[in-house]
Amino acid sequence: MNWLRALAATGPVPVYAAVGPGMTDEVRRLALDPVVELVATPRHASVLLVAGAVPPSADAALRRVHAQLPWPCATLWYRSRPFPELDYPQVIEAPEMLAGALQELHRAVLRGPRGREPVLLPDVPPAPFEGRGDYGQGGEGMMGGTPYGRPMAMTTDDLRDGLALDKLELSLGPFFRGLPSGLVLGLSLQGDVVQRCSVEAPPYPEPPAPPFLQALERPMPIAALELARARHHLGRLAEALDLAGLGAPGRRLLRSAGGLAPGRRLRWLGPLVLGSGLLGCVGTGHGRLTRDQAVGAGGPAARAAGQAMDARTEDPGYRQLGFEPVVQRGGDTRARWRQWLDEIDQSLRLAARAVDTDAHTASSGAVEGPCGRLTRDGNPPDLCPVLESILPGCEWGEALAVIASLPLAGTMMPFPAVTA
Amino acid sequence: MDLLTLAVIALAALLLGLLAQRPRLRPARPPWPARMPYLGGGEPATHAWSRFHVRYYPMTLLLIAFEMEMMFMYPWAVVYVAEGLKALAEMGMFLGILGVGIVYAWREGALRWQ
Repeated sequence: MNWLRALAATGPVPVYAAVGPGMTDEVRRLALDPVVELVATPRHASVLLVAGAVPPSADAALRRVHAQLPWPCATLWYRSRPFPELDYPQVIEAPEMLAGALQELHRAVLRGPRGREPVLLPDVPPAPFEGRGDYGQGGEGMMGGTPYGRPMAMTTDDLRDGLALDKLELSLGPFFRGLPSGLVLGLSLQGDVVQRCSVEAPPYPEPPAPPFLQALERPMPIAALELARARHHLGRLAEALDLAGLGAPGRRLLRSAGGLAPGRRLRWLGPLVLGSGLLGCVGTGHGRLTRDQAVGAGGPAARAAGQAMDARTEDPGYRQLGFEPVVQRGGDTRARWRQWLDEIDQSLRLAARAVDTDAHTASSGAVEGPCGRLTRDGNPPDLCPVLESILPGCEWGEALAVIASLPLAGTMMPFPAVTA
Repeated sequence: MDLLTLAVIALAALLLGLLAQRPRLRPARPPWPARMPYLGGGEPATHAWSRFHVRYYPMTLLLIAFEMEMMFMYPWAVVYVAEGLKALAEMGMFLGILGVGIVYAWREGALRWQ
């Protein structure tokens, strides 16, 4: 091993995470580990972490991501099934071993004892072009031709001023870092403006935090529910900060989410998030839900649009604590982020009061989860179709911010079978 | 003669250096799947060779126009002390006309980010 590789082996492990169903929280926690650096693209990574059981429908996409890691690289399969073509796949099951295994694999890759992982896709151009065309240039020229094996983008009118220029057609996901895992979007882009958006596959479902499930079965301490809610909102805000390039404040939020306790307040949170410039990433009115969409969404998204819908108002335990839902007016991306901030503060106050009075939930028919109403016999609404109407017209960065502010299916909780 | 020797040595060193680097000049190209654009597992349907509107174009034109006008202030600054009030009045008129131009551009929406 030369000195450059020895030096690289001492640094944090650049990891690209392909996140399967139910693994978002575990991968999010990895961001706090000093030995791991979660990178934005496979080209920056030395280790690909495949977390969770990736469904067969995403197999081809995972192979494409795997092929994009620069050599030398390796793959760690955490609670997932490795590709059968790999000779000696690294598979682990225990979460406490995850960071150590990533570091060990990174060092092994740099030392060189591991053989080169094979590229699992055929080594042929995805759209053959060599030797084609009159001069072997690969295509038929400009408009309407197929230079380098892919059709040229055709023109369409720009949404803003009708200027007819080329639109780029692509599908994004299911392992794109800025989207919830599993979500595949079909996009038409003109420059960096979204012209069309269609949901080709919904995000993977995420299991709810255990206190919310337990509250559907039996009375639960309100403090536990409210701390879980604050933790969820802190995690989502941390994701939005990370997406905006504000990784350090995002990690601070994640750390504080791990250390939440009744009676503890986060007075620095509002000034930190509002002063970080996060709200400046997206203009006023972007991602605004209509009244019907907001009512259909429920939860913080509805309250951010001024709809005081909250299952907690029906619970005598919460009424005893003087609970009143907080609402915003805008219904847009900024309002949803402000709603999370206000609800974190409200949850911490409620948790402190609930501990003092030993308050428990009284009704178990419906529970207000962190993303909306949870019942025994119904899934929360799927907000993905809303993307098709609110993303067109957004610049690309704004579109990602809008997605980061919405409780999409991947961050909501389809109701799993509750065991008694 | 010394110069010629030095030139020959420098040329030889250059050639040797290039020869030494030759294996590195053309590293093995990555396999085809590694050259795909990163779309998180997705694929592009069209060639990325596409035309789109550079939205900051009017801004750049305005910037260049005003930058060029600012160049006139350098010779003015050189003669300002000698000319005194007359130079100040002339520059005031010049900046006043520019100011009217900015107000006009603003009214027409040239400064609006599209």
